[in-house]
Amino acid sequence: MIINSDARACSWTDARSRSAAAARGCSRSLGKRGFDVRSFGTGTHVKLPGPAPDKPNIYDFKTTYEQMYNDLVRKDKELYTQNGILHMLDRNKRIKTRPERFQSCKEQFDLVITCEERVYDQVLEDLNSREQESLQPVHVINVDIQDNHEEATLGAFLICELCQCIQHTDDMENEMDELLQEFEEKSQRPFLHTVCFY
Amino acid sequence: MMASGVGEQAHGSVASQFYSNEEETAFDMTTSEKVVELLNQAALISTEEKLIVLKQVQELIINKDPSLLDNFLDEIIAFQTDKSIEVRKFVIGFIEEACKRDNELLLRLIANLNMLMRDESVNVVKKAILTLTQLYKVALQWLVRIKSVSDMQEACWDMMTQIKEDVLALLDSDNDGVRTHAIKFTESLIITLSPRTPDSDTPKKQEGDISLDKIPKDHTYIRYDTLCEEGKSALEQLLKFMVHPAISSINLTTALGSLATLARQRPMFMSEVVQAYETLHANLPPTLAKSQVSSVRKNLKLHLVSVLKHPSSVDFQGQISTLLLDLGMSQSEITRCTPATVQPRKRLHHEPYVEGKRIKMAEDDEDKEEPAPVVTPKPSSSVGTQSAIDLTAEFLLPLLTPDNVANLVLISMVYLPEVMPASFQATYTPVESAGTDAQIKHLARLMATQMTGAGLGPGLELCKARDEEVKEEDGGAGESSSKDPLIIRKLSAVSLGQAISVVGAPAAYKSPITEEAPQIKKLPEPILPTSQAPGASGRKKVFKLADVVQPFSEAQIEKLSNMAIKRILLSEKVIAQSGMSHVRVKLLARLVTQFEGGKKNDLLQFILEDMRGRSELAFSLLYHEYNEYLSQQPSGSLDSYEHCLYTLLSGLQEKPEQRDGLFTKLVLEAPVITDSALEVIQRYCEDESRVYLGMSTLKELILKRPSRQYQYLNVLLNLSSHEKEKVRSTALSFIKRMYEKEHLKDCIEKFALTYMQFMVYVLIFVASPWTEETVRQCLYLYLSLLPLNHRLVHELAAVYTEAIADIKRSVLRVIEQPIRGMGMSSPDLLLLVENCPKGAETLVTRCLHILTDKVPPSPELVERVRDLYHKRVPDVRFLIPVINGLEKNEVIQALPKLIKLNPIVVKEVFNRLLGTQHSEGSSSMSPLTPGELLIALHNIDSSKCDMKSIIKATNLCFGEKNVYTSEVLAVVMQQLMEQTPLPILLMRTVIQSLTMYPRLAGFVMNILARLILKQVWKYPKVWEGFVKCCQRTKPQSYNVLLQLPPPQLASVFERCPEMREPLLQHVHSFTPHQQAHIPASIMAVLEANSRKPEPEPQPELHHPEIIEEREVPVPKHISMPAPVSQAEPPAPTPVEFTEPPPAQQQQIPRREEVEEPMEPVQELTNDFNLQQVEVTEEASQSNSISEKTDEPMEESAARPVDVADQPKEESEDVLPEAGESSVD
Repeated sequence: MIINSDARACSWTDARSRSAAAARGCSRSLGKRGFDVRSFGTGTHVKLPGPAPDKPNIYDFKTTYEQMYNDLVRKDKELYTQNGILHMLDRNKRIKTRPERFQSCKEQFDLVITCEERVYDQVLEDLNSREQESLQPVHVINVDIQDNHEEATLGAFLICELCQCIQHTDDMENEMDELLQEFEEKSQRPFLHTVCFY
Repeated sequence: MMASGVGEQAHGSVASQFYSNEEETAFDMTTSEKVVELLNQAALISTEEKLIVLKQVQELIINKDPSLLDNFLDEIIAFQTDKSIEVRKFVIGFIEEACKRDNELLLRLIANLNMLMRDESVNVVKKAILTLTQLYKVALQWLVRIKSVSDMQEACWDMMTQIKEDVLALLDSDNDGVRTHAIKFTESLIITLSPRTPDSDTPKKQEGDISLDKIPKDHTYIRYDTLCEEGKSALEQLLKFMVHPAISSINLTTALGSLATLARQRPMFMSEVVQAYETLHANLPPTLAKSQVSSVRKNLKLHLVSVLKHPSSVDFQGQISTLLLDLGMSQSEITRCTPATVQPRKRLHHEPYVEGKRIKMAEDDEDKEEPAPVVTPKPSSSVGTQSAIDLTAEFLLPLLTPDNVANLVLISMVYLPEVMPASFQATYTPVESAGTDAQIKHLARLMATQMTGAGLGPGLELCKARDEEVKEEDGGAGESSSKDPLIIRKLSAVSLGQAISVVGAPAAYKSPITEEAPQIKKLPEPILPTSQAPGASGRKKVFKLADVVQPFSEAQIEKLSNMAIKRILLSEKVIAQSGMSHVRVKLLARLVTQFEGGKKNDLLQFILEDMRGRSELAFSLLYHEYNEYLSQQPSGSLDSYEHCLYTLLSGLQEKPEQRDGLFTKLVLEAPVITDSALEVIQRYCEDESRVYLGMSTLKELILKRPSRQYQYLNVLLNLSSHEKEKVRSTALSFIKRMYEKEHLKDCIEKFALTYMQFMVYVLIFVASPWTEETVRQCLYLYLSLLPLNHRLVHELAAVYTEAIADIKRSVLRVIEQPIRGMGMSSPDLLLLVENCPKGAETLVTRCLHILTDKVPPSPELVERVRDLYHKRVPDVRFLIPVINGLEKNEVIQALPKLIKLNPIVVKEVFNRLLGTQHSEGSSSMSPLTPGELLIALHNIDSSKCDMKSIIKATNLCFGEKNVYTSEVLAVVMQQLMEQTPLPILLMRTVIQSLTMYPRLAGFVMNILARLILKQVWKYPKVWEGFVKCCQRTKPQSYNVLLQLPPPQLASVFERCPEMREPLLQHVHSFTPHQQAHIPASIMAVLEANSRKPEPEPQPELHHPEIIEEREVPVPKHISMPAPVSQAEPPAPTPVEFTEPPPAQQQQIPRREEVEEPMEPVQELTNDFNLQQVEVTEEASQSNSISEKTDEPMEESAARPVDVADQPKEESEDVLPEAGESSVD
């Protein structure tokens, strides 16, 4: 992964709000520590929290962060300032113009981490449906993060730590199994782990 | 012309190679130049930049101008030995791209790939496997295209086949990732080595890929059957791999995916795949953890669905659905994934594979008849395995009666594990339809799968038998089906021809391959334009000098070749003018390396004549020698190369003037440093005028040739104890720098310690005694490392304890510098002090002294020493270095022991305490002021220390006249005087002070007066001194004497009868008024003696009192009056105390007496030590006086009554008595 060699990179895929926030926080701190990290969504749309849980703001992947930002400012500036969404969008638009969809990304990664089993399934399905060419392996790991604030924070730390441990391995593929078992035991949550090929 | 030069004659003769090079560069200056520049850059820059640059080069020579590819191939391949994994991976990627671009390059690069497959880094190996996956197909396609395959191409394919086998063997690798890659390779291999059929689900990008069906059966070298067999065997290996009970979850996942791919791309394997899935599902490896089980099951589901979606899954839909149901998929979902199959189902059902195959073949317009015999066994064998389970299941089905099943359950109860396995827990779903036919069938099938997996059951046996039949048939069919005997013959003829060619010209095609890799290996530095000539070995082969001169006799050949070489040698200038000297150099080097003996020496001699001018030739020769060695691997010998390198190096070494670093360059650029070369380097280092250059060369070697760095390091380490000071110190400074390198640290340390241990262990073997020099030799390295790594100090301690006394002494002398360098804050030194190994006490003390020599001790150090002293080694000498760091009371406690030490040591202690040793400022650190020290000495318990030592110690104090000023002494006296009981030495000190500072007389009078108040006569020794003091200060002391009670006054007169008369006169000189103040009793004593010489009646009066007081515990009585009477007047300064003028006048004539300073001291010394042997000269002088005064003093003071009876005993008893009183 991350241990940036050739096309090596770590990718996040997540569309959920809280865990997405966790993922972003995590990817930020990972980035700071020298990881080459990208984050993605896997769904068909980008969902942002709205005025009520059942009324999310929905955009397609073509919408830029700038547009989302302006839209939310127009809708309810105070609310979205308060819940941090505007802040997040503001930061994101400085990094890239719009959210990316994992399925549309043709780059090759070494490691994909998902925060929800549904997303893991989507990633697996996508990767398996692609035509194999280089046979370069990509490891996919799912760490389930419940959609609440505390879990998101804990999960972010857990993932961050996991990534660091992976980065410190001499031979990721050889040591991954053991490492995950260790983490599983430590964090008391099951990880899904598989390998796909580009 | 150029094109033909490059294309056909890529490995042509030397000459043509040069011409084509020349012309090409002329032809295409810009791109080529740019590549050269980039390559030159790449050799020098960091890995990341290097990768960027190399990728640029790759782009330029593969995509922009492929004609350059051949030119720069070797330069790029040279990076395959780069230190960086990423660069090596790049080289692999480059090989892949290059071979895809120009298949011919496989001939040259396959060996490199083979080499990289054995790289030490798994990441490189993995990349190599990936590339091989691609190149295997490329190579096969390429060879299939060529109708007549050359020897080289054959060899290339052989090697490819070999590598393929190697990768398959990697399925058993220890590394998980490598296994994963091997699985994917196997998958791709199986697909390539099996025929594509119409129902194959081939990815678009792989449409053009080669597969078995495109292999012509009449190919001259590629054998269809062999490939087919290899494919089958690969599948078998993969299937076998999958059922390994300890397979890792990722490998299993990978294999599952591979099987799905196989099933979709080669539906003929569908049955094997489905069966493998079934087996796996029923036998999940027990080693998997719970979450891994769910990951694997998820994957299994995913792949089953993808297989199910394939139209050819029709026959297996039942089994797949059952599995999917078990995996938790709903029936509706399964149905959704099942292809709309009515039509294909029928069709496929009716058409066996053979037919499908045939149609396909017809479509592909390939050989129609050939595939049939190959493919037929496949379905039959697959049907065979398929039905093994089926048959067993059928066999089991009627047996599964409720009774039997119940029995089975009961029996198997016994074998159940203690804990539910994770895989079971994950897979278990409650049996919904227990007892139904469907469920019984399912159960039968499950059991059949297990049994077949375990090699049991009637189905399996049946199938085995059938398989054998089929095989026999196959064999028979193979023979009979070869309808055209001509072809057979032709083929065999061809293969025979091959056999011949293999035997006949092994060197012709084998050597280029074996040479390929080493040749590149020898070029680690592509900057040197002369040494990087590509394809050296290739050309060498083509330049068959031997062919041309065959008719000549040996001698002629020898002569001619010698002459030829000589001509080339001598043409140096001419050629240089023509600008072709690089060709000459290359030519010479290459030619000479091919001959033995004479020519080489000639050339070497020639080079050495002008080493600087001919260095290029030297390097070229060296490289060629090395190349020669490599090309003869593995049996080749380095002798010739070694000789060349050795001659060159020693030539340089022996030349007096060499400033241009040619030696260094030669050493650093030589491909291998042989032992003899290393000796020359060592000699070079030992040369004092070149030691620096030599060692920096050695340093470079150590740092840049990691493979043998320890050997090089050893040379440097050995030099660290060289007898020449300059060599040694240079070596040491180099080693110190190396020591910072983590990986060399251990080695250096070990060496240093080993050397140090020589002092102990080699002792037995060394006949000559250890001199300081030999000890130093063992310690040079160690001592210079010590300040860098303080931990090492413990090793020294360990060795020290075992060393003999001579060595110990030497060690103590040499450690000063390093220990000082470490400083007292070093935790390891502190630890050493704390632990102080037995036997190393002197070492520790020495360290302490070194540390505190110039600076006061730190609190940490003091703490450790204190601990050591109190808990482990109660040797007071430890305390000396840190004495100024101790608490006041600790010093006082230690004093008795300290002053008993050797006088020199005691002197040092006092120097430290009094601050007379350190530079200014540090004296303030002393825990005791000089005054306190002197007081402490007075208060030493005489049972702990003999008086003599105490007196000597006080003498030391008095010796420091500028410390013990009159003020200090005044304060000391004052304080001593106030103590109860009075210290024995009080009066001695008073007299001594008075001797040193006569102006203290007034102050002393005051003291004396107060002593009277303290009933000084009760302390015999002090009283004795009191009297003596009065005697010395005669005129002034009269007033004091007059204050004595009459009996004591009488006692004074007893001791000094001569005092009475002057005193009386003194009284008479008073005014009448003053006289009136003198009590009558005093006057009586004063005058009595003039009338009656016996003072006895009066002492008798007082006698009982004194006795009483002596018997009752003394202190209480004495201490009582002291505070009462001593309402202290402000301590008068001695100056103010100058007495009235008449007294002073009287004093003057007595000066002579007073100014004998040692007299009183000595007298006292004698008294206290009771005729100790050590009596100084002065003692004899004063003997007459002291003997006279002694006895009367004792008698009157102590026990006037007893005096007559036993005067001698009395004098002996004085000391113990005094001791008792001072205890209190």
